Amino acid sequence: MKRSLALLLPVVFCLIASSAQGVAAQETPNTPPVPKAKALTLVEASVCENMKGSSPVDPAIVFSASLGKIYCFTSFDPVPREMDIYHEWYRKDKLKAKVKLTLKPPRWSTFSSMRIRKSDLGPWQVYITDAKGRVFKIVRFSVTE
Amino acid sequence: MENLLLFVSSIRWQDIVDIVLNSYILFRLYVLFRGTPVLRVLIGIALLWFSQRVAVALGLVLTSWAIQGITAAAALIIIVVFRNEIRSVLQAKNLKAILWGVPHQTGETPVETIAETAFELANKRVGAIMVFPGADDLDELIQGGIGWDGLVSREMIGSIFWHDNPVHDGAAIIQGNRIKKVAAVLPLSRRDDLPSRYGTRHRAAVGLAEMTDAMVLVVSEERGSVVLVKGTEIRTIRKKEVLTEAIEEHVGSTKTQWGYRRKEKRELAVAALASLILITAVWFSFTRGQESLVAFDIPVEYVNRNPATEIVDTSVNTIHVGLSGPGTLIKSLRPDQVKVRLDLSKAAVGHNSFAITSDDIDLPPGLVLRKVKPSTVEVTLDVPQEKILPVQVDWVGKLRNDLILTGAKVVPARVKIKGGKTILDGLSTIYTEKVRLDQIEKSGSLKVKLALEPATLMIAAGSSDTVTVDYVVEKRALDLSAR
Repeated sequence: MKRSLALLLPVVFCLIASSAQGVAAQETPNTPPVPKAKALTLVEASVCENMKGSSPVDPAIVFSASLGKIYCFTSFDPVPREMDIYHEWYRKDKLKAKVKLTLKPPRWSTFSSMRIRKSDLGPWQVYITDAKGRVFKIVRFSVTE
Repeated sequence: MENLLLFVSSIRWQDIVDIVLNSYILFRLYVLFRGTPVLRVLIGIALLWFSQRVAVALGLVLTSWAIQGITAAAALIIIVVFRNEIRSVLQAKNLKAILWGVPHQTGETPVETIAETAFELANKRVGAIMVFPGADDLDELIQGGIGWDGLVSREMIGSIFWHDNPVHDGAAIIQGNRIKKVAAVLPLSRRDDLPSRYGTRHRAAVGLAEMTDAMVLVVSEERGSVVLVKGTEIRTIRKKEVLTEAIEEHVGSTKTQWGYRRKEKRELAVAALASLILITAVWFSFTRGQESLVAFDIPVEYVNRNPATEIVDTSVNTIHVGLSGPGTLIKSLRPDQVKVRLDLSKAAVGHNSFAITSDDIDLPPGLVLRKVKPSTVEVTLDVPQEKILPVQVDWVGKLRNDLILTGAKVVPARVKIKGGKTILDGLSTIYTEKVRLDQIEKSGSLKVKLALEPATLMIAAGSSDTVTVDYVVEKRALDLSAR
């Protein structure tokens, strides 16, 4: 009997020691989290036939060249600080215009416009990027007859 | 001058072998058949053939056609008619004699036989006249005569001059060991100092002897005497040994000094030269005489390309090659015998321009490159790559004014494209084939193929070349036309 107890004691000691280490590891997440800066987020992007105030009118993916002018509307929320974004207008992978727009916190909607003619028929894209060239979204549409 | 150089440079070693070989064959035919009627007929056929070529050159269609027919028929006839002569020539000679040897037409003159026979004829009072030519040509002086070409023998000479033989009156021409001609008429001497006992036979002997270096033996029919005439000398011979010696002296001297061998060699040399000229003329007629032009569109083979690259674009797939050469070569020429190979070992990734030179074009021997069009080939090399690209619908046409296409979903939205790196680097979108808006009135779905531009682009394995487009159409709140 005494011999059995002598064998069990080291095992019990080891178990107690290991459970104490686990408690210590679980304590680390309890340290207070550092508040993260909210990133600039695009909430809406569309190409539309017209703008009414700061709202897009008739967003679509096909526009008649007879319209003469179209708009790219973008809305960001949140906007952590004043910063610039770009609307890059491409026709069939060829850059036609790069428009710089300034955003202001805490949220901001803005738009750029493009004149379209008969000679501009075909597929288009608007790349919405930040100052470093990071693309938020590509809006695709076509200019038709 | 330039044309001459071009012509000389276009002669192949095969052409020279061709001419020499056929010249030798013609020369051998002459050597084997000379002295027989076959040779004369062969010359006749050659003249017919030459006439036919002239007729062709002059554009005499019917004449050339008729001569061609006659020539072909004559060639067959010669084989049938002269089969015995041909057989005898071929059977009588071994292979060496046919290919190389030159049979001598004359052998050793059997002088003793002639001398013995002359005295036998004299004893029998049979008149005879025999001519032993020297170096001079007797053809122009001797008239008439019948070709004999028989070996000299006692019986032969006896039979020729026998009273009842129709040819006994004329002279027999003896060359070497052969009686070449009988019943020959010799020119009569105009000398008036000849003894009155000499008849026409003697006068003829003297006539020929004084005009040439030939020796003439006369057997008198009336007195049974044997007379030998050479130059202006007339000798009556009483002993066989003296006659033998005299004839031997004449025949021997002609052999060593101006003999038949030398004449024969000259004749063979002329024949060899004539054969060479004739075959060269025939060769020209067959080959160079009909210089022809031909043009082919030959596919370009691009060789020695860096395996890490691929050809993404070329300005042409075929090269227009103009060639000239002998008509026979041009007629048998196939386009696959002409190769245009462009060496890309020095080509770099991107755009390359190569000038096509004659080194890039393989031609069969004997042909000359005249024209290459285009003269330069543009080749674009690229490193093959794959890239995933978004798909955008290429809408065209006109949507009804009261409708607005508010959205479209493409499935799959992205596809994997295979192509050259430089092309793929410049691509950010793959477009669909054009989708017309005219028929669209409400929301729906359609399948449309991708438009791969440039054509070197391919859909990578695992991607489809067709996408589904689910589109949304809404009624416009305010009609555009009302604006």
